[in-house]
Amino acid sequence: MISSISWKNVWRNKHRSLIVIIAVTLGTVAGVFVAGLMKGWSDQRVNAAIFTEASHLKVQNPEYLNNEEITLTIPKYENVIQYIDTMSGIKAHTSRSKVVAMAATSRGNTSVTLKGIQLEEEKLVSNVHEFIVEGAGSFFDVTHQNPIVISDKTAEQLRIKTFRITSELIDSLKSLQVPDTVLKVAEEYEGRRFYSKTKFRKAFEKELSTIDARKYGTLITELAKNYQMRSKIVFTFTDMNGEMTYQSYRVCGIYKTSNTGFDVQNAFVLHDDLAKVAGFGPNDYHEIGTLIQLDKTTEKDVQIALSTTFPETSVMTWRELAPDAAMLADIMDVYYFIIMGIIFLALAFGIVNTMLMAIMERIKELGMLMAIGMSKRKVFLMIMLETVFLTFTGSVIGMVLGALVLKITGHTGLDFSSVGEGFEAVGYAAIVYPNIEINFFFGIIVLVILVGVLSSIGPARRALKLKPIDALRTE
Amino acid sequence: MKVIEIKDLRKTYNESEVKVHAVNGVTLDFEEGEFAAIVGPSGSGKTTLLNMVGGLDDPTSGEVFVGGTKMNELKGEALTDFRLNNIGFVFQSYNLIPVLTAKENTEFVMRLQGKSARDCDARTEELLKSVGLGERMNARPAKLSGGQQQRVAVARALASKPKFILADEPTANLDSTSTETLLDIMEKLNKEENITFVFSTHDARVVKKARRVITIEDGKIISDIRKNGGEKINN
Repeated sequence: MISSISWKNVWRNKHRSLIVIIAVTLGTVAGVFVAGLMKGWSDQRVNAAIFTEASHLKVQNPEYLNNEEITLTIPKYENVIQYIDTMSGIKAHTSRSKVVAMAATSRGNTSVTLKGIQLEEEKLVSNVHEFIVEGAGSFFDVTHQNPIVISDKTAEQLRIKTFRITSELIDSLKSLQVPDTVLKVAEEYEGRRFYSKTKFRKAFEKELSTIDARKYGTLITELAKNYQMRSKIVFTFTDMNGEMTYQSYRVCGIYKTSNTGFDVQNAFVLHDDLAKVAGFGPNDYHEIGTLIQLDKTTEKDVQIALSTTFPETSVMTWRELAPDAAMLADIMDVYYFIIMGIIFLALAFGIVNTMLMAIMERIKELGMLMAIGMSKRKVFLMIMLETVFLTFTGSVIGMVLGALVLKITGHTGLDFSSVGEGFEAVGYAAIVYPNIEINFFFGIIVLVILVGVLSSIGPARRALKLKPIDALRTE
Repeated sequence: MKVIEIKDLRKTYNESEVKVHAVNGVTLDFEEGEFAAIVGPSGSGKTTLLNMVGGLDDPTSGEVFVGGTKMNELKGEALTDFRLNNIGFVFQSYNLIPVLTAKENTEFVMRLQGKSARDCDARTEELLKSVGLGERMNARPAKLSGGQQQRVAVARALASKPKFILADEPTANLDSTSTETLLDIMEKLNKEENITFVFSTHDARVVKKARRVITIEDGKIISDIRKNGGEKINN
């Protein structure tokens, strides 16, 4: 009965209650969306840390962490691999050799780490093969000798990535019904090659009107992008005998992950190709990347088992290898509730104000209720429920709308490409797919009830201070 | 059987160093089934007396017994509970809960008493029919006339099966037709259910219907007349 009255009381002043409900709804939608965005970002970063960069666990020579010397391979590699094969809860593992090398083409040079991979195992542990740029080759699906997969960023540094307006591009623009003024400029630039995206865009857009440049600049730049596949890159590095050696590789694929730092650093070749020139023996590997089955074991358990059995190796979890991602994963749960807490704290002032107004308008009625036998406890409960209902209604609508927004944006993704370079430089995706766990909504429900209860205390105390006789005299 | 016993009841207000004796040594009893009016000019102390009898106001001195229980000794929740189960209130300005229907307003006190919905339904319907509102049970107060609202208030006061009903100027806001109807209904309920009614009033029509008229002036009872041949008491 008390709850029924409280609910009806919410609708006494429809206009006022609706304003509060709308405010709570908007606050909840904003909170859910921001939390979803942060969660999406965090999940993508953690996934990248595990499945692209570090895997769940990495076994290395402890010395290699301080000095990336080619000779610092994993001690007792054969025994370690045999042991991992017998462990339960291991999903997949792959061994890689690593060489820090100088890369050079006829137009540019840079330093990269060549990772010698075992193709099939690598695909089970790492998802780099899923990041091959569309139309830019494949992940070692070639027949030519010494293939290499480099990143888009490395391609740019080595000037393998170019920007050029071709006749095919002009045909595409025509089919897209691009204005003649733009086509004319495109035709003027046909055949000219640029090695920098910025230079191309600057030169091309200079000829266009501001509106056309804004409208077609990105499209044309994207269409003009071209990778010179099968380009030869010469790598210089020190081999296992300490001798300087050279090896040329031909580009078979270009990859681009959301972490520019990772991309700049890593190029992939087949281990057997690298072993021949670097002089690796059959057990010379620099790291073993391992994925585990989290429903069967934990990273920590596997780490302890491996470290105890092979104290001469370094076994690090992704949390140690990518501490930024680990910290993000750990604080995210708290972070959501800080966001929601701040939003609801701001809303609470409005709610308290509304409830105080509602109480002040009903003093005589509250006096009557107490006079005819409604206990102060029940009066308190009535006001508290009224506040909770007011808050809860808005937040339920907000949660539904927020979930809907997350569902849509989680599917389409939110493109932060215009500012994406900054994000990608520190390992965060430019396209974010917001998502949230169902537990978050349960958390909001608890938070909303708490806010409702806390917001009701002031107004309810005001009501409880009333003496029925005085309240009844109020006009 | 005595329902209310009032012994030397006093209420004194200190207003800017002057003591005002709103109720000044009233001793009075009400028997079960009485239909009594307390009359007197404005400021005579009748509402203060009623409030103390109803446990809404604390006396400065004196005692009030309701069904043998000393009201003065009850505090807080115990007093609220006692009012809920023993006293029915009818106020001058009806004081119904605007968001509830006539039926819900009537059953409100029964639900506070913890009665089941089924028990409440039967009693509420019976009461609203007896006050002539059987057809308006689902109307909210805003859709009822003043007289109808006051009849709902009477039904609500009776719903908890109290020992007596205190009605403070119940007809003050009503026109003559509504007043007549209300008084007839209360008189009928008084006779049929043997429930005690105590009014404070200015209204001559109420005085005419009352079977006992207590006149109060300056906080003192100056006459107590029982119309069915009872004696006149000067207090």
